[in-house]
Amino acid sequence: MAVLHAWRAARVTPLGELHAPPRMTAVLVRLAVQVVLVASLWHGLYAHTGTTAGLAEGQAVTYAVLAVLASRIRELDQYAGRDTVLQHMHFGTIVYWYLRPLPPQRYHALRALGEQLYGFAWALGGYLVCLAAGVVEPPRSAAVAGVFVLSLLLGQGVLYFVMLTLDQLCFWTVRNNAAMLILIFAQNLLSGVYAPLWFFPDWFITLSGFLPFQATLSVPLSLYIGRIPLSDAFGQLAIQAFWVVALFLFTRFLWRRAARRVISQGG
Amino acid sequence: MNGMRIAWRVTRLNFRAQLEYRTEFLLMIAIGAIWQVSVIVFATVLLTRFTGMGGWDSSEVLLIPATRMLAHGLFVLLLGRVHGAGRQIQEGRIDIYLTRPMPVYRQLQLAFFPTNAIGDLTVAVGLMVGALSRSQLDWTPGRISYLIAAVVGGMFLEAALFTAITCAGLRFPAADYWSRWLEELLGTFGSYPLNVLPKAVGGLLTYGLPLAFVAYFPAAILTGHGHDTGVPYWLAAISPLLGVVAYLGARVLWGWSLRHYSGVNG
Repeated sequence: MAVLHAWRAARVTPLGELHAPPRMTAVLVRLAVQVVLVASLWHGLYAHTGTTAGLAEGQAVTYAVLAVLASRIRELDQYAGRDTVLQHMHFGTIVYWYLRPLPPQRYHALRALGEQLYGFAWALGGYLVCLAAGVVEPPRSAAVAGVFVLSLLLGQGVLYFVMLTLDQLCFWTVRNNAAMLILIFAQNLLSGVYAPLWFFPDWFITLSGFLPFQATLSVPLSLYIGRIPLSDAFGQLAIQAFWVVALFLFTRFLWRRAARRVISQGG
Repeated sequence: MNGMRIAWRVTRLNFRAQLEYRTEFLLMIAIGAIWQVSVIVFATVLLTRFTGMGGWDSSEVLLIPATRMLAHGLFVLLLGRVHGAGRQIQEGRIDIYLTRPMPVYRQLQLAFFPTNAIGDLTVAVGLMVGALSRSQLDWTPGRISYLIAAVVGGMFLEAALFTAITCAGLRFPAADYWSRWLEELLGTFGSYPLNVLPKAVGGLLTYGLPLAFVAYFPAAILTGHGHDTGVPYWLAAISPLLGVVAYLGARVLWGWSLRHYSGVNG
């Protein structure tokens, strides 16, 4: 029974997507065009350059394309369905999260799990097509593939808790669109979505090493392309695991505090 | 004239409304600046690592993001409410606008004051000053006039693209999804010479999505690369004019779409 309830909660956002064909089409077209554009851009940039920042052409293209595909994993449009925590706080509907026979933190986690699995299906499909078309390089060995999968899972865990922290921020601030946008920007920049972190100055790489963002995307992708060698993988995985545990504890604390701030019908 | 006066009064009220939450107001300015800085960071990383991009030197390349960002800042300030208008459509606000004695498009634009435009424009002006000071070009009155025309044309072209998406949004509110992608594409691919891309991809960003006309072609004309853009020189040269024409076309499309708008109640 619990599994059935979990399934029903997890499939809410993906079902919303499946019932909006224009959005599905848009996702497909956007993903295809973005992959072509990004691959073309990096091939073009490397046309007159050899290895730079420790990345050869194939590695840079693979990194950039995988970053595009990975960004699909959590990009579902909750806003259109008035289903973001920010909107629930504005409209007061957050109170329903506390009236259901399901703790809000579990509901949030199940919803995110459904979204991430749905997004992962898109990313995996895209990856297989790109691999078959030779756009991305395959992992250099089975060990690299295994470490990459493990790192990707940990990275998704870190990403979930980072995004959860942003959602939890909404319990404390009445208007926080800008703060949310700034944090999302920081997440994209410091995780290497805009450009691989290896291209940035040394101080920037050092700074990002102290923050959880690089653990979400930069580490798994760098392991995949071989920019982080297997010999260093254990340390990186340990850092990712540390962030998962630390952010889990932090968000659990915030959930308890947030519950005290929910007011129904004026108190 | 009366319409302009009302628009100005509404804008002043909208600005005061934005001041209600001071921290949010300051953060909105910051987000405008940060968004623009992200474009600069991306362009700087590429310029540093890959010098001589597409046969352009870095001071010439810098003119592309400077033009695009200034055009974008003006677009956000003056016509930017068509970006993300799907939310207003979804909330049924168009139905309210239709009952008021003011053009719907103008009401859409006057929905709120774009505080982030202050940050956008501040960074854009800073980058333009930097680009001009590093430029080796002889800035004659003709060149300066063309640059101003390019910025204004770029603003209208961006407004035309977002208006066209909003027209689709009147029929399918989910079409708003495209506007986020368009903004991302403009930021990512509108800031450096498109001749680094394969011809087919460059053609797509010229004739499919006319992104090249926003800043790349005008900058190519100004820096003497007008013959290496892959399109006829005259076509690249009339980019500012094309922006205005595209905007007028988008407004015609808006009028047609609004006449066929059925609203949430049919």
